[in-house]
Amino acid sequence: MKVETKKENEVTVATVIGRMDALTTSEVERTLMSLLDQGEMKLLIDLDGLDYISSAGLRTLLATAKRMKQRSGIMAFANLKGHAKEVFEISGFYSLFTVYDSVESALEQLGR
Amino acid sequence: MRPGSLGKMQKFRDLCLFLAACIMLSPLCLRADDGALKKAVFLPQWVPQAQFAGYYTAYAKGIYRKHGIDLTIVPGGADRPVSRYLETGQATFITAWLSSALQMRDKGIRLVNIGQVVQRSALMLVAKKSSGIEKPRDLEGRKVGLWGGDFEIQPKAFFEREGLHVKPVRQSFSVNLFLRGGVDAASAMWYNEYHAIINAGINPEELTTFSFADLGLNFPEDGIYTLEETRRRDPELARAFVMASLEGWLYAFSHPKEAVDIVLKYAAEAKVPANRAHQNWMLARMKELIVPSKEEAAGLGSLKQSDYALVARELKELKLIRNIPDFREFYRGSATDAQK
Amino acid sequence: MLRNRGIVFKLIALVVTAGGFIFLCVFGYSYFFSRRTIEENINESARNLAQATVGRIEASLRSVQKIPLNDRYFVESTPLDPAALHDLLFNVLESNADICGAAIAFEPGKRQNVRGFAPYVYRSEWTIAFTELASERIDYTLADWYQIPRELSGPEWSEPYYGEGQDRTLKSTYSVPFYMTAKGQKRLAGVIAVDISLKRLQAIVSSVKVLQTGYAFLISQNGTVVTHPRSELIMNATIFGMAEEAGDTSLRELGRRMIKGESGLVPLGPGPLGSASLMYYAPIPSNNWSLAVVFPVAELMADVRRFSMIAFILAVAGLAALSGAVVIIAHSITRPLRTMAQAAGHIAEGNFDTPLPVSLSGDEVGVMTKAFEDMRISLKDYIERLTETTAAKQAIESELKVAREIQMSIIPKTFPSFPAGTGVDMDAWIEPARDVGGDFYDFFFLDRSRLCVVIADVSDKGVPASLFMAVTKTLIKAKAAPGKAPGDVLTTVNNELATDSGTNMFVTVFFAVLDIKTGELLYANGGHNPPILIRSQGKAMPIEKTGNPVVGVIEGIEYGSKGLTLYPGDMLLLFTDGVTEAVNLRGELFGDERLLKELSAAADPSPSGRIEAVRQALARYSEGAPQADDITILAVRYEGPLMEREG
Repeated sequence: MKVETKKENEVTVATVIGRMDALTTSEVERTLMSLLDQGEMKLLIDLDGLDYISSAGLRTLLATAKRMKQRSGIMAFANLKGHAKEVFEISGFYSLFTVYDSVESALEQLGR
Repeated sequence: MRPGSLGKMQKFRDLCLFLAACIMLSPLCLRADDGALKKAVFLPQWVPQAQFAGYYTAYAKGIYRKHGIDLTIVPGGADRPVSRYLETGQATFITAWLSSALQMRDKGIRLVNIGQVVQRSALMLVAKKSSGIEKPRDLEGRKVGLWGGDFEIQPKAFFEREGLHVKPVRQSFSVNLFLRGGVDAASAMWYNEYHAIINAGINPEELTTFSFADLGLNFPEDGIYTLEETRRRDPELARAFVMASLEGWLYAFSHPKEAVDIVLKYAAEAKVPANRAHQNWMLARMKELIVPSKEEAAGLGSLKQSDYALVARELKELKLIRNIPDFREFYRGSATDAQK
Repeated sequence: MLRNRGIVFKLIALVVTAGGFIFLCVFGYSYFFSRRTIEENINESARNLAQATVGRIEASLRSVQKIPLNDRYFVESTPLDPAALHDLLFNVLESNADICGAAIAFEPGKRQNVRGFAPYVYRSEWTIAFTELASERIDYTLADWYQIPRELSGPEWSEPYYGEGQDRTLKSTYSVPFYMTAKGQKRLAGVIAVDISLKRLQAIVSSVKVLQTGYAFLISQNGTVVTHPRSELIMNATIFGMAEEAGDTSLRELGRRMIKGESGLVPLGPGPLGSASLMYYAPIPSNNWSLAVVFPVAELMADVRRFSMIAFILAVAGLAALSGAVVIIAHSITRPLRTMAQAAGHIAEGNFDTPLPVSLSGDEVGVMTKAFEDMRISLKDYIERLTETTAAKQAIESELKVAREIQMSIIPKTFPSFPAGTGVDMDAWIEPARDVGGDFYDFFFLDRSRLCVVIADVSDKGVPASLFMAVTKTLIKAKAAPGKAPGDVLTTVNNELATDSGTNMFVTVFFAVLDIKTGELLYANGGHNPPILIRSQGKAMPIEKTGNPVVGVIEGIEYGSKGLTLYPGDMLLLFTDGVTEAVNLRGELFGDERLLKELSAAADPSPSGRIEAVRQALARYSEGAPQADDITILAVRYEGPLMEREG
């Protein structure tokens, strides 16, 4: 499991590849938290490579989102599909978070 | 002197049987009333050595006594010519070569042969192969040692026959002249000087030998002689002496060590230097000369007429004798020859 | 065999073998070298000694030879009368004490006598006597001393002989032929002969001493022994006669070489000439006799042998002492080793307090002993700590077991029973992934005819999840009330949980109320996978979602309620995602489709039958892969309307 980050304009795009389960999720959390500590205010999570997400993974996303909200930053998701999409729907996270269809449309929206 | 006769080897058993028969018969030949031993004197033709082992053995073992003879043996030598002793009656019995005896008889000594002991001539010529002498022809023009007297008869006859002209050199009783190369060929007796030569370091294969017995000149040598008169007076004594002597010889052949011990003893008594090895050789050779082959076993001690004729003829040729005596008059041998 | 023997044995074997080998090499070399040196020295000494002796003999002989050779010239050149000859001969005897006789023998026919004329002068008692050799008895021209020089035309030494009569002196005669020239032809005129006593020669040869038992002897040109320490051999034995008697052909060969005038060094075995020895022989040129010097081998080698014997004894003693030293040192190693081996044995049994021997030496053994001791102490500490940790761990584990028991005890296990054909038939299966889990189910009666069923999944596992699960369950049961819609219950619970949740934990909840009299089901779903409805005909499908999110994340969410009707025989199967997200060895998920399929195909349509079918399917599917998430299933089948609720 790995996380690739890049900056597009003012938006940090973090691409998660692999699984987010109890074993791997702490590392993802560390990476995302460090981005926040660096002062990123706009974070886009690209879920294109996410094979699987467990409740532990959801917790990580939730924690990250709460922290972002505290700082008055924006966090959004893109490329939600497959198993992750099912989970997001069932758990209701789909309505909690902002989800875009693609990175491009997300960047377009967040860039404003 | 050391004359002798060469003969072929013989099996003892036959001889012993023969002799056993003689021994059994001989007591009958002794006169019944003769309880006392008859005295007699015997003179061999040379110094005490194994050439006369039979006689000394017979004496030492009491064989003469057994045959009724109280014998005295006078040691022979250069200063005791047998002819004189026999002639003057100092010796009852003597040994002599057949050729000598014939010459003695020719000179007037009426002796008779009562036993021909040595059947085969032991006289030979010896040469070193290294001097180039390998066959009779090689003797032409060479220096040949000769002893003279009766010892020259066979060589001279040989040279005559082969048409050889040699340079004769008078030879003493030592072989040193030959050893040093003073003569090219030397006279030797097979039982004596030949061994002395070997004993001085020359190996048999380095020598060429000419044995007259093999060259058609087999003159019988040692025989037992007595005056005709002596024999006529007491033929039993004569026969007894011969029997005992032959018995002594056979004993010596079957007990060689003992015989040589006896010979050495008498040699020492006569102050004659003798060594065992030489005597052993001499005795062994005498056995070959006296005991001919199995075929001739029965002829122990007898003189063959053919041999007699050979010698006599040669002597006459060389003008050493004028007449050849009649064989039967000359030879009065043992019981096997029907002589009496 | 060698492998299992002790160090001491191995060391000794090695030391003795190596030491012995080295010694053998050194000893062998020095022995053979000294032997060879000795032999070479012998060769040298023998030759020198023999040649020196030969030289002395030669000097003696030549001084004698001079005389007749000089006299020859004198006799040849001067016509002499008997008186002159007489004087000449006297002078000869007077001039040389070794000469004991002299003669001038003429060829017969030359002078007065046909028999010959040979005046002879000789020593007798203390005076010099005179005689004439020619006589009737003896022909001197046949004597060797006359004949041989004559036939060989040169001087000759005779073989040794004893003088006549009482005179037992051993003599030899040197005779020289002399010639006269008459009518231009050189003829032999006679032979001059001198007899010399061999006493001096015998003395010279006897004086030759070699060590203790060595000696020299002389043989004549015919091989006759002229002088020898064993006097009985003198003149009685020839080397060839001795060889013949002993049957020794090599001795005969040696004799032949000697009289041929050769010289050399030969080993002699024990035999007529003595015991084993080395013999050097050389010729006397003047008369072709041969001198031999005998070196007794035993004596020669005695020194070498004694040296060898001593060296051998020293070596053996040395090796023994060395072995002793080796044993002592080896023991100083093996004793501590053995003690340590014993101590190690005790430690292996768990006795860490075994004292080790104190080694005061600074060598390898001492170092090892100290290291061993350090190791023992470390081991002891480590084992103690390990024991404590294990005890602590065991304490925790036993507490966890208790926690699990507690957790399991709060989940209802006893299902309500109804008269046949009425009420509900329920069964459940809960399998936490760890000792304690985050899933739970619950059911309770609101009132006589209303049954609540709950299934929930906390967003975690282990002790934290189990605590959250306990709180959630309690809240739900507390907030549920007759007349209150399931959605409202969840709304209340959500607000409570979201406020307190600092850990970001959430829980998915499915909460339903079933009216047993009518079969009406009202439900609310907070982010939980929708349960499966299996109608009595067998068709299975998930019930409709409500679209509400998980519980405990954000306050203020309004949870909606939905409803459906259960007919008798219909079954509602509630489950957590531990079922659908079970993985096989390839990491593939069990999946909703498979679950539906298994439920439909279950042979036994009863709740327990269906649960069993799913359980078996999961076991088959997982292929032994470890359980990743808590698994919970609650199956509720509506049997029929209830008239009155029991108990």
